[in-house]
Formats: sequence, structure tokens, C-alpha cells
Amino acid sequence: MAGAADLLGPKADRAFGLKLVAPAMIILIVLLALPTLLTLVYSLHDVPASGSSFGPFVGLENFTIIFSSPVFWRSAQVTLTFSVGFVILSTVIGLAMAMLLNQRFIGRGLARALLIIPWATPWLVIGILWKWFADGSVGGLNAVLMMLGLTSDYHPFLSDPNTALPITVLAAVWRQASFAGILLLAGLQTLPEELNEAAQLDGANWWQRFSNITLPWLRPVLITVTVFNVIYAFLQFDVVFAMTQGGPGDTTQVLSILIYRQLFVNTNIGLGSALAVILGVVALIGGLTIVRLFYRREMH
Amino acid sequence: MASSAFERGRRRSLATSVAIYLGVLVFAIWILLPVWYLVVSSLITPSQLGVKPFPLVPSSVTLDNYAAVLFGNTGGKGIGSTDMGTRLVPTIGQSLLVSSILVVLNLCIAGAAAYGLSRYPFRGARVFELSVIATRIVPAIAIIGPFFVAFRVIGVLNTPWALVISYNVFTLPLAIMILKNYFDQLPREIEEAAKIDGATRLQTLWIIIVPIARPGLVAAGVLIFLEAWSEFFYALVLTNQLTVPPLLAGFQSVQQFNWNALAAATVMSMLPPTVLVLIFQRHVVGALTAGVGK
Repeated sequence: MAGAADLLGPKADRAFGLKLVAPAMIILIVLLALPTLLTLVYSLHDVPASGSSFGPFVGLENFTIIFSSPVFWRSAQVTLTFSVGFVILSTVIGLAMAMLLNQRFIGRGLARALLIIPWATPWLVIGILWKWFADGSVGGLNAVLMMLGLTSDYHPFLSDPNTALPITVLAAVWRQASFAGILLLAGLQTLPEELNEAAQLDGANWWQRFSNITLPWLRPVLITVTVFNVIYAFLQFDVVFAMTQGGPGDTTQVLSILIYRQLFVNTNIGLGSALAVILGVVALIGGLTIVRLFYRREMH
Repeated sequence: MASSAFERGRRRSLATSVAIYLGVLVFAIWILLPVWYLVVSSLITPSQLGVKPFPLVPSSVTLDNYAAVLFGNTGGKGIGSTDMGTRLVPTIGQSLLVSSILVVLNLCIAGAAAYGLSRYPFRGARVFELSVIATRIVPAIAIIGPFFVAFRVIGVLNTPWALVISYNVFTLPLAIMILKNYFDQLPREIEEAAKIDGATRLQTLWIIIVPIARPGLVAAGVLIFLEAWSEFFYALVLTNQLTVPPLLAGFQSVQQFNWNALAAATVMSMLPPTVLVLIFQRHVVGALTAGVGK
């Protein structure tokens, strides 16, 4: 990379490039860098509810309060459970759907159009839809279970502390698996058919072809999809807000819901900002870990 | 098409074919069951809704719920005293307004930036590009505090401008990433020819690049629209139910409000993004996957 400067064009070209990028750069600095910095500053202060001043500097006191609070640790645990379920299920179901829709069958075009619908649906709408779908008195999920003879009566999934979290995970997965499926299907379509045919002639069975050809081919797409899934998992707000608002009790209170409550219900801006900083750092670490994990395996 | 699929399919064993069609059936149920439940709910009366098990194939359907949410024709059907019938249509209008302004603004700003990054790299261009990608990790929820405070001070809380300004946080980086990828794969020969013919850089951009980049601009436009249309959290905090998502969330917490009417409103809110994506399916999927793995 010693000659990186050589890749740049003449001075006038560089100046023109900078002029084209300048508006976007200024907007992003003002709207992203500045608020991020302000949130960091807020997190170190005891900000008054009005937010009109920073209030007294308290150092890391907000973080100390958070880390010694059982509410935070309970919420962190819920976020982790939600995220692990969400990431694994979204990726696996997405991969299964992509592999299925890459086969030849009648109606494939229509099936591929169907795959897009959950992805095009707003997160909040997915929350509302699944809240009622899983409802204990008029829900469709109960109707299906009853018709299949699996249950004899309706079950209030979202007010039962044991089933509330799994159902919210399922609702979020319904959307995100489609996103993963769309990207992975596009990746599969670029896989040269000759590779699989040659392997088949050599007597490789389905599993051998899947693990030795398909999965390695999809690795870059899988990394992207998984990183997206991790970020969406940690930052999920809409679905949980629409379905349970964190309840029953605190069984579905993910960190983003806790931040919302701190900032806008308890109007504790300092504490809420400190929580937001923690969430941001966790999402960042989560995303980077996935990237590192995949690339390290590649080296072996 | 169908016949060739058949002929090729003949190379498969019967068992494989059966497995594939069973898989397709499971796939269709997974996607369609919740959607079907929503649509049926919006087409039946509250008394039909109360039946156990839920009538997945209703004996009769009605458009009353749609009339209620679109025109306020509650007609004593138990919608209650909410003002939802008069609010959904104007709110859809506000959502369209915010989304459209953002699409136009972002295509201009992100288009220029992406083109600059792709064709006229300057010192620091790569760093800027990487920071744009990194912004996807900044939780929108983490930086809402400063927005709330700043918007209250300048007095734009509860106006479309609060959303037009704040939505740039996620729509602008998305548009830059997609358009940068798109410009990178456009051939440079035409631009070089224009240069030889004496066109200035700006003329080349306007007269030559904008027309041939139309598919990329359309795809980016659809994705920006989708993000703006779907956004809930900023609209909830920075406005008083100005756009559709917070309005739907508000309906949900109104006691008298029944699921049938909410289902009709929900279907209405799903239509614009779904139709848009299905029309531009090829463009959108292409743009979404172009930069993957880089």
C-alpha cells in the first residue's frame, strides 16, 4: 500500500471529489458524530430532567449505579437470550429458505416474491401483527394449534412469563430470516452449477456438497448477514415495544426498552445515556467478534 | 418456463421432488399464515373474531373495518370513541411527505458523495467510507437524547422536519453505501470519452452519469423510502404520532379499539412498502446484495 497516493488522481480531481462528498460529510458529522459525543458527555453527568444543561459532572457514577443494579443485569440477560435466539434462528431459517428457493420447482417466482414480504414489513407492524397472532383470546396461533389437536384451549402466550420471550424472538425472526434469505439466495445464484455437478459425479453426497461447496461459497454473505443480525438483535426495540413493552414483569425487557424507560419515562438523561453507551459498545463488540470469528476460521 | 423446469426436474429422484414440495409448503405456511390471519381479521366482524377457534376461512367478509379506518364510518360497530377514523388518512399523507422529501434529499446528497468517492478519491476518502459503514452500528436509540434536547430548543419537535432531519442518521449512510457500490460497477469508458470531448466534470455527472445510473438511484430511493416509512422509535419520541407506525402503536393502547379495525389499518400501512418492493424487486435485491462480502 506504499503507492496509495498514486491511486489518487490529479489535484483538481481530488478537490472535485471532496466538494461532492462535503455536504454528506457535514451532515453526518453534525447529525451523528456530534450527538454521539453529546451522549458520551451526558453519560458522565447528572443531567437535569429538562435537559437544558449538562448538570454536575459525576464521573463514572452513572456506570457504577448501572453495574450494581440487578434490573440492568436482568435486562442484559434478557437481551443476550433474545439475541442468541434471534441470530441463530434468523441465519439458519434464512439459509434453509434460500437453499429451498434455489431449487427448481413450479411457482418458484411467486415463492421468491413471498420471501420479500416480511422484509418489506415495518418492524413495528410485525410486532403488532404477532402480538395479535399470539393473542390468548382471538389469536390465530392458538386456532392452528387447536385445529391440529395440539392444545385443547387457548393459551395467553404473551402474558405467560415462560412463552413471552420465545414468541417475541419468533416474531422478530419472521422478518429477519427473510432478509437473510434474500441475501443468501442471491449468493447461491452466483454458485457455478458445475461445481456441484462435478462433486456429484465424484460420488459426494448431499451433506458433503453442502459443507464443502455451498457453505464455503456463502461465507462472505454469511458474515454480512450474521453481522447485520447481531446488530439488529442488540438494537431491537419496535417488536418488543409493540408486543409486550417489556412485560410480563421484566421477562422481555431488553436493554433498548430499559433505555427508553430511563430517558422518557423516568427522564433520567444521564443514566439513560450511560445505558445507551453500554448498548452501543456491546453491539460494536458483538459485530466485531463475529467478523473476527469467521476470519480466524478461514485462516485454518 | 414451466416445461423446462419439468424436464430438468426429471433428473431428480421422486423422493427429492416430494421433499422439495413439502419444503415449499412449509415455507408458504411460515410466510403466509401470519399475513393471512391479519387479512382475515381485517375482513370479519368483532363477533366472528370472538369464535374459537379463529375462522381461518371466514363464512362471510365485510369491508366495514376499512370504511371505519379510512372514512370514520364507525356505524355503531363498536369502534368506540377514538378519532382513528379521521386520523389514519392524514397520517399516511404525513408519512408519504416525510419519506418523499428524504428520498429526494438523500439521492442528491448521497448520490454526489458516492460518485465523488467512486471516481475522484481524495485523501481521507477511504476513512470516510469506512466511517459511513461503521455508523450502521451506532444505535439510533443511543443518540436520541441530544436530538430531543436540540429539537426542543429550536422548536421543531412534533413537525415533519424533526423526522426529515433525524432520519438522515440511518438513510444517508445506507444510500451512500448502495450508490458507491453501484457507481463502482459502472464502466468508466463513457466518462473518459466525454472528458476527451471537452465536457467538464459537472457536465459529465449531470448529462451522462445521472441517466445511466437510474437503476441504482431507483433502488437506493426505494430503500430510503422503506426505512423512512418503517421508522418507529424517532417518530414516537420526537413527534406526537405524526407518522403511521406511532399512530398504530397508539391505536393499540386505546381500550375501546378493536383488533378488526387495527388489522385494517395495519394492512393499509403494509401496502405502500410491499407494493413498492414487489414492483422494483430486481433493482432492490441487486442493490442490497451488490456490496455484500466486501
